[in-house]
Amino acid sequence: MNYFIIGFYALVIGASTLAAYYQKRTTFILLFSLTLISFVMGIVGGEAMLWSVTILAGLIAFSAGVSYSFREFLIILLPEDLAKEMRTAPLTAGFGLFVIFTYAISGIFAPIIAPYGEAEVISSAFAPADENMLLGADQLGRDMFSRIIYGARNTVGLALLATILAFAMGATAGLYAATKGGKLDQLLGRIVDVIMSIPSLIFSLLLLSIFGTNTVTLIIVIAIIYAPRVFRLARSVGGNVVVMDYIEAAKLRGEGTWYLIRKEILPNSTAPLIAEFGLEFCFVFLLVAGLSFLGLGIQPPTADWGSMVRENATLISFGEITPLIPAGAIALLTVAVNFVVDWMLYRSSGLKE
Amino acid sequence: MSQDKSILLNIKNLRIEGYSDEHWIEIVHGIDLTLHRGEVMGLIGESGAGKSTIGLAAMGFTRDGCRISEGSSIEFDGLELTTTPAADLQSLRGARIAYVAQSAAASFNPAHKLIDQHTEAPLQYRIQKRLESQEDAMELYERLRLPNPREIGFRYPHQVSGGQLQRAMTAMAMACRPDLIIFDEPTTALDVTTQIEVLSAIRDIVDQFNTAAIYITHDLAVVAQMADVIKVLLKGDEVEESDTRSMLENPQDDYTKSLWAVREFKKEQVPRPADTVPLISVQHVDAAYGDTPVLEDVSFDIYSGMTVAVVGESGSGKSTTARCITGLLPPTKGEVLFQGTPLPPDYRDRTKDQLRQAQMIYQMADTALNPKVKISEIIGRPAAFYSGLHGPELKNRVDEILDLIELDPSLYYNRYPPELSGGQKQRIGIARSLAAEPTFIICDEVTSALDQLVAEGILRLLDKLQKEMNLAYMFITHDLATVRSIADEVVVMQYGKVVEQGPKDEMFRPPHDPYTDLLLSSVPEMDPDWLSTLLEERGVDSNTETHNP
Repeated sequence: MNYFIIGFYALVIGASTLAAYYQKRTTFILLFSLTLISFVMGIVGGEAMLWSVTILAGLIAFSAGVSYSFREFLIILLPEDLAKEMRTAPLTAGFGLFVIFTYAISGIFAPIIAPYGEAEVISSAFAPADENMLLGADQLGRDMFSRIIYGARNTVGLALLATILAFAMGATAGLYAATKGGKLDQLLGRIVDVIMSIPSLIFSLLLLSIFGTNTVTLIIVIAIIYAPRVFRLARSVGGNVVVMDYIEAAKLRGEGTWYLIRKEILPNSTAPLIAEFGLEFCFVFLLVAGLSFLGLGIQPPTADWGSMVRENATLISFGEITPLIPAGAIALLTVAVNFVVDWMLYRSSGLKE
Repeated sequence: MSQDKSILLNIKNLRIEGYSDEHWIEIVHGIDLTLHRGEVMGLIGESGAGKSTIGLAAMGFTRDGCRISEGSSIEFDGLELTTTPAADLQSLRGARIAYVAQSAAASFNPAHKLIDQHTEAPLQYRIQKRLESQEDAMELYERLRLPNPREIGFRYPHQVSGGQLQRAMTAMAMACRPDLIIFDEPTTALDVTTQIEVLSAIRDIVDQFNTAAIYITHDLAVVAQMADVIKVLLKGDEVEESDTRSMLENPQDDYTKSLWAVREFKKEQVPRPADTVPLISVQHVDAAYGDTPVLEDVSFDIYSGMTVAVVGESGSGKSTTARCITGLLPPTKGEVLFQGTPLPPDYRDRTKDQLRQAQMIYQMADTALNPKVKISEIIGRPAAFYSGLHGPELKNRVDEILDLIELDPSLYYNRYPPELSGGQKQRIGIARSLAAEPTFIICDEVTSALDQLVAEGILRLLDKLQKEMNLAYMFITHDLATVRSIADEVVVMQYGKVVEQGPKDEMFRPPHDPYTDLLLSSVPEMDPDWLSTLLEERGVDSNTETHNP
């Protein structure tokens, strides 16, 4: 028995008692389940296990704190109506926004933040971390940390461009089909069915091996693969808007199709489309990473998280976690985007207004 | 059954708060309400008066984002609902307090048969076994004079008509023989002939089982038939309460008097101008949706500066006629003449100027205005589109129109439709059609979704605009009170045919076509004995059922 263990249990029990006394129900349940878990953990895993429980709880508390302060920061900074939205946002959304913000900063200012160039060989292969290299070196002796920073720019930037293109194509076609209806709607719908019936990874591998891998083809291919999903959503959302009386009024006024789509239908379909944008972005992001891992995505020496995982995969057998860092970066962004999307979905699901 | 008259519901100092803009705002300010067994209380007031909120509070329930304030007391049969745990309240609802919603069509689950939904509550509370409960449901259906009471329960909600659905809902509310039923505008969405069936059914069943009821409505004539006691509400405050007869004969408060006086608006009837070409002439029009014929040989004329009211129950082809005139549904036979020249049947083939001449105002202002577009643009677009105005000229024009519809331009110019009240939205709808500078406006049930006070304002506005601009109106409605106040000529439609037409004063004088007669006699009057007298005259009515095949 040492001071750490005694202090640990004293703290959790004390905290949960306090929570119970002040009738903070959720806090109490949280703290008391932590106490119970630590009892089991302590018995099974001993002191080491308790340390990891402490670190984990500390990490969660830390990210909650960061999310909270970031949300407060945004509330102060943003104009009044946006600040009002932020005030009602859950902590997870604050966390998501914070992560996205961090990625955006490191992507935009990559050359300033990164200590070395993305293709610069500065040490021996797989060199361990030291004061120059925060995360060590990769299989060619390039700085891992710099490559992660540049990777944010390349991978995220590419995924973003591809998603935007997919949305531009899918949403335009979908809303157009919803407005026009009839044969055109059928034709577009069947084309989309054909594209969707082919598994996306196989289809992209096929297209990329036909047209070759460069950034432009990559973006176009991914956009073509993901546009059909957007088309379906846009068409069904647009279909609900098209039957409204104000559309009838606009038609009777003699307005053209393009005006109808742009001014009358699109503003009423943005909420679900934006939510879908977040989700699609995650899928596209994972597809880009997956393609890079297979060697068909972004080509070396450009830094990219997917290929970084593959290149350093051998290190796993030596018990090193280096290859997991870019993988973790992918996972973290995906989770963050989903948090934000969840919040947006909640807002657009009718509780607003 | 013992006719027990003890106090059932006793609400004291009821305050309810709603959460909006990060503050709790009080929306019901200390209402007291006492209801005895077997008594029907009518709650009336315009929208936003807190009628529904109070009705729900009587079940110990508040909508999301609302709460009952401290110090309120809701005592139901000796049980204090504000302090009762949620689980106990849950077992009270459905079993001892039931709720009938405004739209039965939206409240029934479309995926289950009526009778399965009916038996759900008795089964859940273990009051009856399934077969017993089904038997009971059929008996209730019979009492509510539903056709084929033994079979109708096995249909799905979309297979029965709106009036039948509303009665099935009332039967469902009776399933556990509750002590209290809350009717929240049960007939507002129905047309007059159907409304009568539902009203008499509700009244009978409440009498038979000595059930207490709270009847929420904004229609005074309806509440006069149903309630023993009437409570008038305004913005969450009680205005006055007294029994029905003395309330009708001798209202005390100014607000109540104004409610009573609403139906007095009557415009002067304009005669048909001699030897001019009618502005719009509908000539022998037939129309069909796919293979289903909906209109047959419809003909009538509309002259400049006149209002033609087209009346009939739902499904009689009133709106379809409007769609033929606007060109949304090209007629299969016949044609529409505008100042003597035929209009192309399809709106896509019409010129900009032809489109400009005929404008529409819709029933539901909520769906008729794009919620994401500013008022200035909703009104500005037609002006810019047809007249090519832009910049300061356009702004002046929009201001001018906003002045015309009696909304302050500086306040409303930059607002969005969801920020307006129902009446204001309808005014914007009128403004949009005015911006095109039309000669002819189709008003499709423009007042039926509004409270009487607001509706009267809209009617007065339409009348004023007509006088100023010599507009012709085609006024589609099922409300004969509206027809009385605004029409010059009346066209009565049934089953897609014109049954009768002529100047208003002739139409409201006998002899009538039998259908016109039925429509006219179905309009509720402010006399508490009206319903009973009418039902006697008609002989306990099963004949009205024939109009809902």
